[in-house]
Amino acid sequence: MTDTATAQGQGTPGGTVMAEKRDPLWVRFLRTWGTILVIVITAIGFGLSSEWFFTVSNFNNILFSMIVSCLVSMGLTYVVIAGSFDLSIGLTVTTTSIVTAYMIPEVGPWLAIVVALLAACLIGFVNGALVTYGRLSGIVVTLGMMFVLGGINIFMTGGYQIAVDYGELAFRYIGQGKIGMIGVPVLVLLGVFILAHLLATKTKAGHYITAVGDNPMAAFYSGIKVYTWVIVSFVLAALLSGVGGVILTSISSSAQPVGGQGYLLEAFAAVFLGATVLGKGKPHILGTLLGVFFIYMVNSGMNMVGFPFAARQLFAGLILILAVGANAMLNREEIHLKFI
Amino acid sequence: MTADALVEFRGLEKEFSGTKALKGVSLEFRRGEVHGLLGENGAGKSTLIKILTGVYTPTGGEILLEGKAVKIGSPLDAHKLGLGAVYQDAELVNSFTVAQNVLLGNEHGFVISSKAVHDEARRIFSEIGIEVDVERKASTLSAAEMQLVTLATLFHRKYKLIVLDEPTARLSGKEVELLFTIIKSFLDQGITIVYISHRLGEIKRICDRVTILRGGLVSATLERDEISEDRVTELMVDRSRSDLDTENPGLAQDRMVLEVENLRTEKLKPLSFTVRAGEVLGITGPVGGGMEQVEHALGGIGGYEGTVKVNGKVVSIDSPVASRRHGISLIPEDRRKQALFPNLTMAQNICLPVLSTLTRLGLIRTSLENGYADGVMRRLSVYPHQPAKAVKFFSGGNQQKAVIGKWLSAESDVYIFVEPTSGVDVGAIKEIYDIILHMAREGAAIIVISSSVKEVLSLAETVFVIHDGDLVHAAPKAECTHDQLLAIAMRGRTSVAAA
Repeated sequence: MTDTATAQGQGTPGGTVMAEKRDPLWVRFLRTWGTILVIVITAIGFGLSSEWFFTVSNFNNILFSMIVSCLVSMGLTYVVIAGSFDLSIGLTVTTTSIVTAYMIPEVGPWLAIVVALLAACLIGFVNGALVTYGRLSGIVVTLGMMFVLGGINIFMTGGYQIAVDYGELAFRYIGQGKIGMIGVPVLVLLGVFILAHLLATKTKAGHYITAVGDNPMAAFYSGIKVYTWVIVSFVLAALLSGVGGVILTSISSSAQPVGGQGYLLEAFAAVFLGATVLGKGKPHILGTLLGVFFIYMVNSGMNMVGFPFAARQLFAGLILILAVGANAMLNREEIHLKFI
Repeated sequence: MTADALVEFRGLEKEFSGTKALKGVSLEFRRGEVHGLLGENGAGKSTLIKILTGVYTPTGGEILLEGKAVKIGSPLDAHKLGLGAVYQDAELVNSFTVAQNVLLGNEHGFVISSKAVHDEARRIFSEIGIEVDVERKASTLSAAEMQLVTLATLFHRKYKLIVLDEPTARLSGKEVELLFTIIKSFLDQGITIVYISHRLGEIKRICDRVTILRGGLVSATLERDEISEDRVTELMVDRSRSDLDTENPGLAQDRMVLEVENLRTEKLKPLSFTVRAGEVLGITGPVGGGMEQVEHALGGIGGYEGTVKVNGKVVSIDSPVASRRHGISLIPEDRRKQALFPNLTMAQNICLPVLSTLTRLGLIRTSLENGYADGVMRRLSVYPHQPAKAVKFFSGGNQQKAVIGKWLSAESDVYIFVEPTSGVDVGAIKEIYDIILHMAREGAAIIVISSSVKEVLSLAETVFVIHDGDLVHAAPKAECTHDQLLAIAMRGRTSVAAA
């Protein structure tokens, strides 16, 4: 390529960089570290108001309480990266929880977990297939799936909770065991986080899902199997929710017939809060983890300081809008034409 | 300046990082005329139009609108000043009816009666002579109908000047007639039309005057009765651009790579050809004249009939995935929509097709990824040299190099380049040519599809001209001259020299 080398010698004529005005240092700093700064400042604020806030046991509590929500949120992150929505993940937790509790007396705990996770994958696959090959909107399909799962849950339980036998020590160890100071489910969460993060950033699957979400048309022209990767993202979301469901069953030694919608709302808040972490502007697994952590930390902190429940909700909502809003200000695009 | 000048450019200049796309253009569009704009790719046509519509700001010179100097800083400014344009890929709101689209932004009152909207649209259509049902959804329109409807949307926006960019590219003969009727009704309203086209026949019919651009300068402005094929060809060909002269010395080897027999689509008459290893086949012709059908068929985007063989094996190409699997890489023209991931980094874009080779134990090694991207960027001199920067922040030329870089090591047997230098700054064109020839030297079979005769002559060893879906000229490059090809492409008749 000697020819190109000479062409380069002419001062790289093709080399204009568009739209790059060097922003002032503080803008660049805030863009990258702003969200983390907010988290740290909030934590310090709580630390000053309550002497019990900065204790190992409190942080252990926060981590412990956020496990299921965090798994659901990380799953949702994949779907949002792929450019779609999944509203059924919250109910998927409940369904897998019920399947687990239902199957344990039948086939034993380990096979029950496998069956439950397969059921979760099936839910994700149906969602993904309808969104791609079925040509339906992600929001509508998963909203429908949410109601379907709600019905199935009541149907399977008859409206009563299913208890897990106290003799199932091994199974209960997943949710209630401890290794040293740290609960087993916290370790499971950590393991899943590392795997999910590697999958998203270091594998072909992660790259292709990101590419599909960024420009599906270009992905199609590049010979990427667009539909396959969208389906994979839905299956991952459901699978991670399923893991959450299994852990939930183990923690409470039972499965509840209703509930789960709360996870969905927390997950959406966490994913979009997480998108602002490190100034990426797009959802990513690490950001989602911090997003969930922030929501639960604020919850715990306000609890300690003694705010009423209503104030906690208000504060969490305001923080979310502020963080995402500030990020939008910092990453201002020329024309804003996307409203989801 | 004559009394009836609507828009006047005085010494307009535009520089892209050291390369002058416009070198002092002075010309005027008169009120109520159809002004043709001719020129090869890179002559400055599109730069001029983009300045007029506020997409670019000029680096020198001034623009006068009705005698007063104006600044056009954005497309919105242009709109307010009454300057509009219809591009080849018209955009409509798909879920709206035709009538709702036509009146979008000009509905009367707060409560919109759908009957009133439809009646108003019908009135406009009958006035300008379009026969499209105004109650149809825009999504059901054909490409040609969409183009006509887009024109109708401009009708009541009180524009003073409308630019039509290759308006007949997607129209059939009957629809072209309809377009001309519409243009006439625009003229009756005193609207000025700037008409860009490569088809001389149309220019001769519809334009009052025509300006020919060449190498960023006005070559000449001709009155209608001065327009002749020879004259225009002579004025268009830029003999001074020797700095861009790349030539294919003949790199074809004996090994046959691509054999196509009776390739046929709805818009392409049966076409047979072969491409050997190292050979560059150049296909030119008017935009929308059928040459893009070759790319659609071989890239797996549209269906086709006929036989395609790669390395002697018959393959069936029904999707882009199949096309890649059989060793065909398509580098599409529309980078923004079809080839790049704007928010991914340069490195991620470049590495996408070769991810499998950059992994250890199934995990992508960032060091390998960066190393590979670094190598490609160096080789193609992508500037600035920042693999971690999002692609949307690179210039057009560098984005195009990234698209090529993406497929560079995908080890395909056949590469199809579509308009490889469209939208690329002049300076980067030669670099892209060098890359393409380098790939041929390494034994790839290459098809270059381009509306620029100059480009095809620079790159190809064999030249095809496709016009109205028909192969009208096929010859080795050595036997083609620029003027002859340009004439065939514009006229669309088989020349005596056709093989």
